[in-house]
Amino acid sequence: MGGIDIFELLGYRFFQNALIGGVLAAIACASVGLFLILRKQAMIGDGLAHTSFGGIALGLLLGINPILTALAVSMLSVLGISYLRRKGMAPSDSAIAVMLALGFSSGLIIISFSHGFNVELFSYLFGSILTIDETDLVIVSLLGLFSLLFLGFFHRELLSMTFDEEESRIMGIPTKSLSLTFDLLVATTIVLSIRVIGIILVVALLVLPGLSALQLDMSFRKTILAATLLSVVSTVLGILLSALSDVATSGLIVFTSALFFLLTIGYKKLQ
Amino acid sequence: MVHVNPVLEVKDLDVVRSGALVIQDANFTIDSGDYVGLVGPNGGGKTTLMLSILGFLPHVRGVVRIFGQDISRFSSWERVAYISQNATSFDEHFPLTVRELVALGCIRRGNIGRRFRREDWEAVDDSIDFMGLKEATDKRIGQLSGGQKQRAFVAKALARKPEIILLDEPVVGVDSVTQEKFYEKLSNLNTRKGTTIMIATHDLASVFCRMSKVVCVSRQVNVSRIKDDFNPNQLLGKAYGEHFHFVFHKHECKGEFENGRN
Repeated sequence: MGGIDIFELLGYRFFQNALIGGVLAAIACASVGLFLILRKQAMIGDGLAHTSFGGIALGLLLGINPILTALAVSMLSVLGISYLRRKGMAPSDSAIAVMLALGFSSGLIIISFSHGFNVELFSYLFGSILTIDETDLVIVSLLGLFSLLFLGFFHRELLSMTFDEEESRIMGIPTKSLSLTFDLLVATTIVLSIRVIGIILVVALLVLPGLSALQLDMSFRKTILAATLLSVVSTVLGILLSALSDVATSGLIVFTSALFFLLTIGYKKLQ
Repeated sequence: MVHVNPVLEVKDLDVVRSGALVIQDANFTIDSGDYVGLVGPNGGGKTTLMLSILGFLPHVRGVVRIFGQDISRFSSWERVAYISQNATSFDEHFPLTVRELVALGCIRRGNIGRRFRREDWEAVDDSIDFMGLKEATDKRIGQLSGGQKQRAFVAKALARKPEIILLDEPVVGVDSVTQEKFYEKLSNLNTRKGTTIMIATHDLASVFCRMSKVVCVSRQVNVSRIKDDFNPNQLLGKAYGEHFHFVFHKHECKGEFENGRN
């Protein structure tokens, strides 16, 4: 995009939408992702992202906003994983694998039945934040707001459960219902990030900022702030570089995040 | 014996774990202000008894009452604190400072999802101060020494001002001086704040020097109040075997040690 500078880009509505959506997704992913890492559940993020592929395909087939159908399918998957786990039918990781396979294969079957939305589907697989429209932005903002409000109110209880679930139960924290709500929050966060970074790479936005911040050996408060900052900077840089260089946005966001991760590892080694 | 103010009542309790009868016919009462040592050989059922008291393990027979209420209906868990055997074996890189850890202790049924009040933060700082961790307030818990970690977890338990604290082998793997300091802090807690304490331990000398009551578990549960004429071997022989002989001299309990006993 020769001749276009950053200030000119900032004047475009599509670019403003991209930045707002990107920053919201980055904040939600960083905070939810940090809890996922600490709870050693990072793979549930990847599993739910792939499961939502079935929901995206269903939305495109039915002519409903795919973000909404992806949200419904992801949430059903969370309930399915919880059911399989609770009834002792499958351990946690196997339950995630079952739902991932079910969601992804449903998506493939739906694609086989319909023709013509492959390009659109591609944008959900790999993200296309620069084409985010006003409706998507409203949905992303509402989902982001829900995620942040939940964490704002219950971060201390979640932290307690993450640290020691048994003791948290004795303390009167409703661990079962909070765990389920947190998993639903993960589904929400993933779905709101799909337009930004795509199904395939969303786990990177969930995990990399938190992992980078953890290398710095700080308090929980500082760690979550650092993760959020790194996530926002990576996303904004990725969007800017993508608009200026015409390289895939999601690739640049993940690449910048990975670079920060390497830098924090280097910093830790030097300490 | 009449119990004026029982905190914990265990009557005719049988507990089965993994198909085996681990606790048989347990009968004892812990009164308010008691400092109780829970002793017995490895695998004797100390942890099982504690988990059963807390309602984590279903009992096949008998009754457990806590503050006069059956354990199955008990809901005032903010009055109880429990420090598990594995409390200090956390991930060293977990991003928590001492103050953040102790603050987690202030969460209770009544303030879920709410902001902490000023009194909560005061309780956090008081607990840190009481356990002698003021200098380490902003240190990450992974950077603490073994003894500091244990004190940090007791500070966390104290933050919500419980009336009874149950500790499951909290001084495993630390040197004897650190153990002594830890027991001294607990003695102070018991005498100054009147907190009822039940501690599972293998440190028999500390139990007989500092505590007011001993519960000895080896499937069968025997209880004795520790008085001046107390002979530990009558009690311990039942759990550790008749060849076990614990040599205990009263003069070993001296100085501040004796303050621990009521």
